[in-house]
Amino acid sequence: MEDAAGDLKQALPNVCDSVQIHVEVHQKSSSLAKKEDIRMSVLKLLNRHNIVFGDYKWTEFDDPFLNNNVQSVAIVDTDLKLKDRQPIDLSTSNLSLHVFHLNEEGPTSENLEEENDDITAAHHWVLPAAEFHGLWESLIYDTEVKSNLLDYVTTTLLFSDKNVDSNLISWNRVVLLHGPPGTGKTSLCKALAQKLTIRLSYRYRYGQLIEINSHSLFSKWFSESGKLVTKMFQKIQELVDDRDALVFVLIDEVESLTAARSAFKAGTEPSDAIRVVNAVLTQIDQIKRYPNVVILTTSNITEKIDMAFVDRADIKQYIGPPSTAAIFRIYLSCLEELMKCQIIYPRQQLLTLRELEMIGFIENNVSRLSLVLKDISRKSEGLGGRVLRKLPFLAHALYIQSPSVTMATFLQALSLAVDKQFEEKKNLADCV
Amino acid sequence: MGPRGDRPVLGSPAVAVAFPGAVCRGSGYRFACELLKHVLHQRNQLPLPYEQLAYFCRRAAQGGDGIEKPRSLGLASRKCQQLLTELEGLFQHLEVMFSLTLVPRVLFLLGGNVMNPKELYELNLEGFCEGSAEESLQTAPCVRQLFHRLFVADVFSELKALPVTGTLVLVQGHRDCGVEWFRPKLNYQVPSRGRKLTVKLSCDGDLHVSASPPQHTAPAWEDYVWFQAPVTLKGFSE
Repeated sequence: MEDAAGDLKQALPNVCDSVQIHVEVHQKSSSLAKKEDIRMSVLKLLNRHNIVFGDYKWTEFDDPFLNNNVQSVAIVDTDLKLKDRQPIDLSTSNLSLHVFHLNEEGPTSENLEEENDDITAAHHWVLPAAEFHGLWESLIYDTEVKSNLLDYVTTTLLFSDKNVDSNLISWNRVVLLHGPPGTGKTSLCKALAQKLTIRLSYRYRYGQLIEINSHSLFSKWFSESGKLVTKMFQKIQELVDDRDALVFVLIDEVESLTAARSAFKAGTEPSDAIRVVNAVLTQIDQIKRYPNVVILTTSNITEKIDMAFVDRADIKQYIGPPSTAAIFRIYLSCLEELMKCQIIYPRQQLLTLRELEMIGFIENNVSRLSLVLKDISRKSEGLGGRVLRKLPFLAHALYIQSPSVTMATFLQALSLAVDKQFEEKKNLADCV
Repeated sequence: MGPRGDRPVLGSPAVAVAFPGAVCRGSGYRFACELLKHVLHQRNQLPLPYEQLAYFCRRAAQGGDGIEKPRSLGLASRKCQQLLTELEGLFQHLEVMFSLTLVPRVLFLLGGNVMNPKELYELNLEGFCEGSAEESLQTAPCVRQLFHRLFVADVFSELKALPVTGTLVLVQGHRDCGVEWFRPKLNYQVPSRGRKLTVKLSCDGDLHVSASPPQHTAPAWEDYVWFQAPVTLKGFSE
């Protein structure tokens, strides 16, 4: 028992004072180099640049070997662990290198009823997929949502590895993300699956993400729906049987599958729906015995979900609309992209919110545009991530229409677009 | 741990063909093509055998020469043309691949995805060797021998019809062979689930010195990695 405790302590990251730094190495799809060779070269590179400030990404290298074989080397997610942007000494910190290849095929579809081939019951990705590359970085939240989720799954796998008796301590591998629409719940699930596949590549050779279309599990035949659920989970079971694979099951809008059984009592639900709820619940209990599966679910209306399902979820994370600080970062990433594509030209250096704070929000030539952006961000409070990412596009479409503009003009247009957004929202509310 | 992908799955059918000597150069490539054509037709991805389909399509492309083409081809002709073009391209690239490197194994994956295919066909050439034209067996009789064995083993008859789906092709080759069209899949392992058929070709008898027995020239199998053809062959029916 003593030994086991010692092992556990050793395996847990961050117990000692050295910081765990994750380095993601994206190997080119045409590259044939061995992982060990790449690892060695990357370590050499990191040795030469051993002090970094927060996240950093290399895409060009002095070393021709890296140039030929590696797309990018990125130090990632330092902001999740370290609250302040501070210099990190790579030579003293605990480095973990993740070398990965992206799968470029799109999703394949899965059909359930043999005779009815048209309806797809699930989409299926082999991870890490090119489609989800960069998704994790594009999702910006204020609270520790991302690190919480990562830590949760890491603990799950640790418990499974150490064979913790699941009768004594139970954990379900079910994550429920809930919150208003357009806050990036589904994207976060996909990004999390991708991230974990890369992080855990030393343990699992590849990942699989299955996105279930919940409506396809309802049969046109009375009493068949429950069986369809079982069939679906049987397919998942087949994937889980491969112990080299980390399997993520994504059930979007889970309330449609596990609508509260109380509604049945009110007589507004057909009894077939209750079978679906029951089937889903029992199947989840079945699948939780396997260490290599994570069930990710999202919902807009949490109160509609059956309590028995909510209980089963280990993590019930609320994803709210972004705060001013998060909005600022979202805009910043949008503007960065537009400058990269030279739609905003010439390039202007924008300050981050933290840098603004350090100079005490004093207006000068350097900070002027950033302060304007900060005002726009404050004004945008209450908008969801989906709308925010759309606004730069709308700003250009409605108020600019020229192939290239200055930053100042663009910010004016953005401000107008935000006003228009709220106006539209108000009009919609008035109509209802 | 379940059975690992690199070992034969228990109970999966295998067809072994041993030729009485080395087979002449270019045969490995021919076997791969012929087997793929055969599998595609047998597993309902092609409504007619490849050669017939190619013939009808060429006729149709050349325009009205009076011969009435089968009605079925009219509807699906675009899909058919596309598949045939893709197959032709694939065959050309396969030929290049075979000329660049020794190919110990070829995989055809039907349905599902690359990690979890519904059906998996493996052409195993590890014990197969090619020799110079004068001293080796001719390709055509060997192809006939292969198909005779497949016919006798009766591997396709008890299978349920497969719906129209996508087919992926993977080829194992040397890491440094310099092939460009195929995408490397460095950490790929042959899946252990799904239905699997292995066709194993080998050469017996006293091999001539000029023949290239893979066991002697290429002892380091770990330098052989999987390459995936960057196309999904979408099957079609009538």
